Amino acid sequence: MEERLAPLERQSLGCMLLKKKKLNALGFDTQKFIRFFFASNASVTIIVLVLIMLMLLREGAGFLKTYKYELETYRHAGLEFCDIVDRPLAQHQQLTSRLRRALGASLDTISQHARNRRDAYLNMKRQIEEESSLQREALSVALEQTPSAGDKIIEPLRTQLAIAGVKSAMSLTVRSFFSLDEADKIRAELSQLSPETKDIPAFLKQLNDHFSTSDKAAKKSFATLVKATEIFEEAPETLQEILIEIKEHVLQTKTAANEFNTLKSGRLKLLEAAENTQNPVEKADLLKEAAATQAMPVDFHQRIKLVTSRADELAEKVHQYITAIQKAAANLPTRGSPAHAIALLDEVHHELPLHVQEMQTAADEIKTWSPDKPVSFLTVIGAFFFGSNWITNSSWQDSFGFVPLLTGSLIISLIAIVIATPISLMAAIYSNQFASEREKELIKPVIEFIQAIPSIVLGFIGISVLGDLIKDVSEVTWLQWIPGFPIQERLNMFNAGCLLALMAIPTMFSLSEDALNNVPEAYVDASDALGATKLQTVFRVIVPSAFSGMAAAVLLGIGRVIGETMVVLLVAGNRIAIPDFSSGAGVVFQPAHTLTGIIAQELGEVSRGSTHWQALFMVGIVLFCISLIINWCARTFVRRFEQFKA
Amino acid sequence: MINTPIQPKIDPANPFVGRHSRNQTLESFVRWVLRCGTLVIVSVTAAIVLHIAVKGAPVALSREWPFVNVAFLTELPSTLHVIQDNQGHIIETDVNGADAIKMELGANLREEKTISYSGGGILGPIVGTAMLVIVSVGVALFLGVASAIYLSEYASHGTFIEMVRLAILNLAGVPSVVFGLFGLGAFVLTAPVFTNSPLDRAIFTLPLGFTTLSFQGWDTCVLSGGFTLAFVILPVIITASEQCLQAVPLEFRETSMALGATRWQTIWRAVLPFATPGILTSSILGIARAAGETAPIMFTAALAFKDKLPWQKDQISLPADASLFAHWEQNIQRFLAIFTESVQALPYHIYTLAARIPQNEYSERAQYGSVFVFLILVASLAATSIWMRRSLRAKYKW
Repeated sequence: MEERLAPLERQSLGCMLLKKKKLNALGFDTQKFIRFFFASNASVTIIVLVLIMLMLLREGAGFLKTYKYELETYRHAGLEFCDIVDRPLAQHQQLTSRLRRALGASLDTISQHARNRRDAYLNMKRQIEEESSLQREALSVALEQTPSAGDKIIEPLRTQLAIAGVKSAMSLTVRSFFSLDEADKIRAELSQLSPETKDIPAFLKQLNDHFSTSDKAAKKSFATLVKATEIFEEAPETLQEILIEIKEHVLQTKTAANEFNTLKSGRLKLLEAAENTQNPVEKADLLKEAAATQAMPVDFHQRIKLVTSRADELAEKVHQYITAIQKAAANLPTRGSPAHAIALLDEVHHELPLHVQEMQTAADEIKTWSPDKPVSFLTVIGAFFFGSNWITNSSWQDSFGFVPLLTGSLIISLIAIVIATPISLMAAIYSNQFASEREKELIKPVIEFIQAIPSIVLGFIGISVLGDLIKDVSEVTWLQWIPGFPIQERLNMFNAGCLLALMAIPTMFSLSEDALNNVPEAYVDASDALGATKLQTVFRVIVPSAFSGMAAAVLLGIGRVIGETMVVLLVAGNRIAIPDFSSGAGVVFQPAHTLTGIIAQELGEVSRGSTHWQALFMVGIVLFCISLIINWCARTFVRRFEQFKA
Repeated sequence: MINTPIQPKIDPANPFVGRHSRNQTLESFVRWVLRCGTLVIVSVTAAIVLHIAVKGAPVALSREWPFVNVAFLTELPSTLHVIQDNQGHIIETDVNGADAIKMELGANLREEKTISYSGGGILGPIVGTAMLVIVSVGVALFLGVASAIYLSEYASHGTFIEMVRLAILNLAGVPSVVFGLFGLGAFVLTAPVFTNSPLDRAIFTLPLGFTTLSFQGWDTCVLSGGFTLAFVILPVIITASEQCLQAVPLEFRETSMALGATRWQTIWRAVLPFATPGILTSSILGIARAAGETAPIMFTAALAFKDKLPWQKDQISLPADASLFAHWEQNIQRFLAIFTESVQALPYHIYTLAARIPQNEYSERAQYGSVFVFLILVASLAATSIWMRRSLRAKYKW
């Protein structure tokens, strides 16, 4: 035994002696060094992830401080004071517009026919003028240039215009509310249009007169409604006058405060530079410059006193306004108008008490309002995460509330997921379980191709084709039962959602197909052995055991959709407002803005370090967190169900 | 036997065919429903591609030899001038042509419309996209393949590996616009440069004697955009490369090790040669992805309009007695300067055409032409990748 072991030992000893020392300068041997090189490359992914967080935080974290400062100025300067009254007063405009629409609808019962006739005539006139614009312009130029002589030049131009006029008048389609005789008359009149005759065509005059008489008659028969609407409209005028005065005053305060602040920070920079420089001449220069920018800080207290002293007066005006609108509302007629006008008036009646109450609380609030209430960081965070306005470059007050952006993103993602989930799961089950080899060879490359289509191309399709397609479909008569139809905006959330669904399909499809593939063969065999049919095997065995993977696929699809930028930027319509949910499911046909879209659209135009810039980075932080959370959810989903299965 | 068995209906043409049971009917119904879902995807894709091809092919292709519209592919974008004379003739031309035609027409000029970016061709955007892709794929391939080698050949289970895998997973899910923000913060505003006069905004400067290393950023340029894109496609490249490395059978490594080769020799001689074709194939998909991304380059590299190619630059001519070294230095600097310029890029060009200018019948030509060319480029990359993968699969069978 000992003899056998001996050569082994000797050999290893020989190895030890003969082995070259592969140590480099740092004390690493080469193999370790190579390993270290690859490991450091692998750690780049972690570093990048951390760097993303750091960069977002570095640029965005200052937001809380600067926005807090802005909100403080907003309070100290008294802008908040004005907004207490101004915000609820905005409701007045909506009420007025309802009244106006009700009034218009009522008047239409009498004067609509006359107005339509006049408008149709004017439309036809414009059309003919457009069609013969070449000849018309030539003639008017000739008339201007040679006023005295040149009949020889002008005459052929005149005939050309006449020919063109007759030609387009003959091809004119006259709307049905003109009789045949009238249509002939219109054609004759319109074919003679010429820049030389200045007076209005006779038939148009007649139509105009007819319209004005019927309009007068209509106004007379709805006199109470007209009167009430007028009173209602004029009610806030005195209130607004005072408000505008105060607003001007507080804006001056705010601008002065901001100016002082920029001067101050500039001066601090100069002083710092002066401290750092060694050259005494330069130092003196810098100090001098700094001294020149010395400015008086704004005395908020002095200036706000002027505002608060008028609180009682303002409250008095608010009360006057309230009594005025209540009186006007009481005078609104409840019958005699067409049904939808009555419905509008009912809405006004319905909403008025709320508006009155809001104004009342506003009047109470301005009396007790104080500019010295501190702004806490919680308020700032609340103003960002729960603020319902995203207003930038405003002359009054910028506000960065990201609720409208979040709602836009969420609704669009929801639409996309609702469309994409069934389709991609169906396709995955089909291609995994039912499709023939030839079909598979078609489906898989197509899905891979969809993944390769750049998002900007899909966005372009949305702008150039899909928008018009959806709008045309929404005008089809037998589809009017769908809420939101006919749609107003070509670019809306539904449009973006459809395109994003197409973008989410590859992710969802391939991940859920993987999940289906990973179902153990034994499950299928067992199911077959028990005499299950193909359908039973697929829907009772395979799909349930692949469920966790499919759920993760849907989640990752959501992640893809929320993070998509170019499609929503191009197609979603970019209106920064919380969508109006009053129309039910029709809300999907409204335009909106999104978290990703706002960054892409606005970041290029703001200066570095401003509140706006920081706010956009805050949105970036939120997006980053959302993507991390979705990833984490998908992972836990898969894990939990795998444990459960085991 | 009381129950008489139900006589199955016999098909006269084929007496052996069985009766369709309810289950079979249900199955074929479900099968058709699923098939329809799949067909929706395929037909929508086909419709989109066909629409772009029908509208875009007349712009980018031509009926005569060489069957492509050479002018469209080799000219820089410019402003389109549409001139109409009093007789109603419409002439589309560029700036220089517009002046000549206006002179010729004189008083006969009726109106002139200008449509930004819609004239000329799309050479600038194509070149810009190519440069961005070269930089990003270069960086991403280096980092990605190295990481994949570590993950597949060296790594054992451990916290570090778990963290790397988690990071890759999360990196893949980060929205592209957030990558844009990262690129803006990291490369445009903070990355280190050698300069003699550091800017104030540098967060950190390191004097080196002959020059200063200043962390002041690279500004918007090809490098910034390329690096940003590199991190967008890094997860794709790592995952694909790791798969390719894993596909090489374990026996190859064992054999190599048994022959006394070191770890590195094994990787270099026995694993990489068989994995490289696969890695390159999947990197083509990375190229397609990098070429298609818009959001990451919006703030880091892309310009809406530029009337010069990156290398067309005024250069100071050296004095006649300049040394060879000076000439060298200038050439190297000129080469580097190409990458420190902002460029136009195809996706951003399409964005500009689609969203930044008013739409009318004259802007449509440039829009569909660019989209068509872009789609053809990206689709051919993807098709090459798919085709190569198939032929590789047929070639390497272990």
